[in-house]
Order: sequence, then C-alpha cells, then structure tokens
Amino acid sequence: MLKLISRAWKSRPARKFRRNRLAVAALAVIGLYFAIGITVLVSDALVNLKLINPNDHRLLTVLTLDQVESIVGPMSQPGWLEHPRPEQRLRAVKGILDEFRKALRQKDKDAALAALNLGERRVDKPIDDIRTILDDARAQYDELNAAPDLDKDPSILPKLNKIETTVDSLFKPLSGIDRTINSFRLALGTDRQGRSISARAFYSIKVAIQIGLVVAIISVLMGSLIGAAAGYFGGWVDSAVIWLFSTLQSVPDLVLLAVLAFMFTGSVFDDVSKPFLSLIPVYVAMCLTFWIGPCRVIRGETMKLKELEYVQAATAIGFGKPYILLKHIIPNTLHLGFINFSLLFIAAIKFEVVLSFLGLGVKVGPSWGRMIQESTQEVINGFFWQIGTATVFMFFLVLAFNIVSDALQDAFDPKAV
Amino acid sequence: MPEPILKVRNLSTCFRTDRGTVTAVDDVSFDLMPGETLGIVGESGCGKTVTSKSIMRLLPTRTSFFKPSSSIEFEGKNLAFLPESDMRQVRGNRIAMIFQEPMTSLNPVFTVGWQLEEALKYHSKLDRAGRRARALEMLKLVDMPSPLQRLDEYPHQLSGGMRQRVMIAIALCCEPDILIADEPTTALDVTIQAQILDLMDNLRKRLNTAIMLITHNLGVVAQVCDRVIVMYAGRVIEQAPVRDLFHRPQHPYTRALLTSIPKAGGKQKGARLPAIDGIVPSLFDLPKGCRFNNRCAFSAPRCISEEPQLTADASGRLVRCHTPLNDAGVPITRDGVPLTAGAAR
Repeated sequence: MLKLISRAWKSRPARKFRRNRLAVAALAVIGLYFAIGITVLVSDALVNLKLINPNDHRLLTVLTLDQVESIVGPMSQPGWLEHPRPEQRLRAVKGILDEFRKALRQKDKDAALAALNLGERRVDKPIDDIRTILDDARAQYDELNAAPDLDKDPSILPKLNKIETTVDSLFKPLSGIDRTINSFRLALGTDRQGRSISARAFYSIKVAIQIGLVVAIISVLMGSLIGAAAGYFGGWVDSAVIWLFSTLQSVPDLVLLAVLAFMFTGSVFDDVSKPFLSLIPVYVAMCLTFWIGPCRVIRGETMKLKELEYVQAATAIGFGKPYILLKHIIPNTLHLGFINFSLLFIAAIKFEVVLSFLGLGVKVGPSWGRMIQESTQEVINGFFWQIGTATVFMFFLVLAFNIVSDALQDAFDPKAV
Repeated sequence: MPEPILKVRNLSTCFRTDRGTVTAVDDVSFDLMPGETLGIVGESGCGKTVTSKSIMRLLPTRTSFFKPSSSIEFEGKNLAFLPESDMRQVRGNRIAMIFQEPMTSLNPVFTVGWQLEEALKYHSKLDRAGRRARALEMLKLVDMPSPLQRLDEYPHQLSGGMRQRVMIAIALCCEPDILIADEPTTALDVTIQAQILDLMDNLRKRLNTAIMLITHNLGVVAQVCDRVIVMYAGRVIEQAPVRDLFHRPQHPYTRALLTSIPKAGGKQKGARLPAIDGIVPSLFDLPKGCRFNNRCAFSAPRCISEEPQLTADASGRLVRCHTPLNDAGVPITRDGVPLTAGAAR
C-alpha cells in the first residue's frame, strides 16, 4: 500500500499536478472544507450518542446542531465590516434589558438566566446589584428612545456608548476559550433570530459535503452498474434502460425533484426531530436524476469495450457474463466514474442550495440554501451578511473543485505538457 | 491412425441480418488430430474466423445460430448444442484461443500476473501461492525475458511480441487439448512473427497440444502447419498435407493464391504481379454452381450449372472442383483426362 502511494506520488501526472500552484492551493481549500465537515460530523455524532458532554468540550462542540441553532446574540447584528446604526444598537440593548427583566421576575436567578440564553454570559452579581444597574440602564434607554432622530443628532453617540457600557457591566467579562468562541460566533454577525451566521455557515459545510458525497457515490455506482449492464447485455436490457432514462430525462430535473420532495412531505421523513431521516428525500430525489449522466457515458464506453479482444479473450477463458462485466468492463470505465463523481459532487451541492431555497431541501438545521432563503427579508433592510456568507462559502468550494478537476484533466492528459 | 480429438461435421453457421439470413460457414467438415497443426487459410470474409468462433461458441447468440445438422464433436460432446454453463468448462480449460491483436487482447487495468492467475482461479484448484508459481512457470515457458518482474507489470509496459507471449501463456496455462490461434502473428513484425511461430511450434511438441492456426498468410502456413484447409466463401474447397498443397495445388483458387505471392528475386523487373481478378462474392449474392466460377481461369459451363462436391482422390486429398488441376497445373476431368485448351476461358 505504501509502495503504491509512493509510486502515485512520483508518477508523471502527480508531478504535473504539483507544478500547478493554483491547483495545489485549491486542493488545500478542499482539504480544509473536508476537515471541517468531518469534524462537525464527528462532534455531532459524539454529542448525539451522548459520548461526550458538550460543556466539557466547548471548543469541539461549537458546531454541533444544538449550538448552531441556539441564539448567541441580539437579532440581526451585522458582522465585523459593517458598523451597526445607532437604531440597531439601541434595539440590541433593549433586547438584553428585556431578557434581564424577565429573568428578575423569576425567583431562581441562575435557572432563569440559563433559560434565557444569558447563562453563557455568566452574570455573577447578586439580584439587588442587577436591579440597580438595570434601573440605571432603563432610565438611559427611555431618554435615548425619546430622542426625535437617532441617526442625525451628534450628541446621541456618547449616550449610546454609555448605556452599552452600563449593560456590559452586568456581565462578567469573558476569558480564555469562551472569549474565542464568542468572537468566532459574532465574527460574521447574527441572523434575524440572533443565531450565529459564521457557525451556521461552517455547519453547512458538513451538510453540503454529506449531500455531495452520498448523492455522487450512489449516482455513480447506480449509473455505472446500470449503464455497463445495458451496454454489455444489449437487447431488451438496453431498451429498458434507455426507455427508463429517456423518460426520466424528458421531465425537467427541477420539476421532478420538486415533485419528489413534495411527495415525501408529511411522511416520516418530514419529522423535524429526526434530522438523519429528513435528508433522505433529498438524496432520493437527486439520485433519481443524477444517475443518468454516468449511465449514458458508461453505456457508450461499454459498447466500445465489449468489442475489444480482451473481453472476448475473457470469454474464451471460460468466464461468465456477470464476471466479465464486473471484473473486466467496469474497472475499465473507472476513469469515467471518477470524472462523473467530481461533476456530480458539485452539482449535488448546488442543487441542494436551490432545493433548500425553495423550501424543499434541508428541513432540519442550517444549510447554505436555507441561509439564503432566510436572508431574503434581511436583504431588503440592507443586511447582506447572511446571504453573503452562504454564497462566499459555496463559491470557494465550487471554485476549488473546478480548479482541481481542470488541473487533474491536464495532469492526466498525455498530450499536455 | 489415432482418433481425431475434434471432429467438425457439416458445420453451418448462419447470421440473421437486416437483409435476411446468411450462411457464413456452409457445411464445413474436418478433423483435428492430437498434436498436429492444422492451418485454415483464405481471403478475408471467407469464414475462417467464424469457424473458429463457432467452435469456441463466441458468436453472438442473438444474431447467429447453427443449422441443426451441425456437429462439433469433442470428447463425445457436441459443442454446437452444449449448454452455455457446460461450454464454460470447455473454454479456456480444454480449448483455448489466442487473438490477432496483442495490443488489445490484455486488459489494460490489471497486471500480467493477475490475468494469468485469473484463468487458473477459474479452472484449477491451486491456492494463491500455487497460482503465482504456475503463472511464473508459464511466463518462463513462453521465453519471457525477466519473468518475475513481468508478473507485476501492466500490459502497456510490454511490447507487442511480449504481449502475444503472455496471451499464449494464458491460453496454455490450463494445458488445453486444442489451441485455436486466430491470426496470431498478423499484427507483429516479421522477426517477432518468426519467434512467436517457433514458440508455438515448440510448445505444441512439448505439451502435445493440437493447434488450429487461422491465417491468410501462406508463408506462416508453410512454416508450421501439418495440414491445410483452404476456404472460400464459407466452404472448404481444398484440404491437403502442407507439402502437397504448396507443390501441387489441385483447386484453381489455391493455385491462384500461391502464384499471387510476391517472390524476392522472382519474375523479371517490371512484370505485373499475378492477382486473382474480381472479389470474393457477397454471401447475399452467391453465384450459381461453383462459388469460384466467376473468377476462375478454367471456368466451364458445368461449373455454372452444378456445384461441385468435396471429393477425395486416391491419396486422400480433398478438393471441391469439377476439373481439378494435375501436377502440371492443367485442369483434368475426374477421370484424369486433360481438358482441351478450348474449355478454358
């Protein structure tokens, strides 16, 4: 095995590929995406199976489903490039003040704070202290709120800073790992429900890769087997396969996908409490149309291969047809399988986004498509962070994949230098 | 006289086509003796390859069929109508075949060793180490240079001649009784061709394998065959020991074939190379009577009205002609009377 790897590393295509710096960088990007995706998958599974306690491994569990769905900050807070307008800052302050007031009405302070997502902010003051600060902040808020126009009055800004400091003094300053986690979560702002955009975008990498891999692997396997069988056996098998894929192909892809997604609506796969099952309709819908591409190509290749003498020679040795198909024909179509895999992987990721945008794809947890869909209301208000983040994350993955497959094609082409 | 190992009787192979059914191999009968080399020669499209593929049953079952009178007797079984599952035990194991094009006869994605062991896996009970040892032994047998290294190489790392050696090794690794070689040297250059023919001849002597050599190269036939069958338009037209055939061809077609071989230092400079006029008739549109009558230099009215039968002469040679040629190349009647010059066209 090691020998094989070292031979592959030293082979001519590998050397040609390494000379292409852009492709190497793109490969590193893909590697990074995969590493994040796998980490998310593993940590999600560990928490779900109750193998680790999220509180003991804070850094590892930042991107679990529960964490990315939780509220981490005020609603629609912009990311680090855009400064919040005074209006938004005041609204954020009011949100926190309201939460505190609600918490104060309950008797058990710690339980109340935890229930209101204030637990992480670690309020370590006695109730009387909180009440004093709160009254102070409330008075400042009323004064600011009475101002006729927040945006234009130059005296507003110092007052705004003052009320924010007052509210901040309610919290214990974050330190160490909590501080890192908090700044990561707020790095790209929050969405309309106060959830971290960065955490959701990173979690979506896992969703995208999961869908890409599952759909591409199943489609290519299905397409190879069916296509090779059709090409090799010919006759009625071939006719049946051609009939099947022509029929499927005559229906526009998106319509078929939408119909299938609707078909599963309301069934057990629509159950929000089972995130694993909820993706199955998406897989089925995509695999049903995506296998056609590899099937057609591999059917054609098989029709060429079966006339070659090594296939006849295998018959002359005495092998049966299924054996020849699996051992002699399909291995010779593997290159087509790989090409189709890389194409379908990207296609599946893009289709997931489209489907989720239409509300037919991912139902539980974030995905780039859902992020874009949820940001439609925000964009009207000039808040582009959510849609921007989802698009940029997707853009770099697709771009990196295209660069790598282009470079691979050049590397394997004996005629290109 | 030993029993023939393969008895082909009245083999007729038909193909269904858009233009109707054609009989590509028509009523062919011959015997193959153990350890002999039988050559089958003829122009392209005369049914040589279809005959060999009929014996191996490699023709597409959907478009081809045998006439019920056909019989290919091998070890008491009629291969023409043997069930496919039984046929698979014969192929490769008892009757092996090598093909014309060594460049495409090996699967490019597997090593030479893998492909040799694959055949053994199916037909022998050897374990893994045993199969590898046998594969190595076979490569040594076919005089492969540095055989141990070759086992782990892929077909693209080998030359054409080496690949054909590997093909022969694969064909012979189960020690078949019959080796069918369908134009094994056509794609090789002349020196490699001679090496491969020598190799096949040596292996035949060592393993006592009967070889059916299909070729259109008469030089190859003269070099290695014991007996020769000449085919024309799906029929056997002459069968004779190799020496007799080359020195005293009896069928006008055979004679014409032999005279159309260019000879170094032969005819004077500028002389035209003799050739057979016309082309092989289409199987859809065969001439009446003798199938060669429209190209034959000695065609007579009887040749058009009546098809000659394959008849044996006193020495046992078979020829399908109303007026076979005598030793001087003059057509004679069946009674041995030379025809007058006027009968010739």
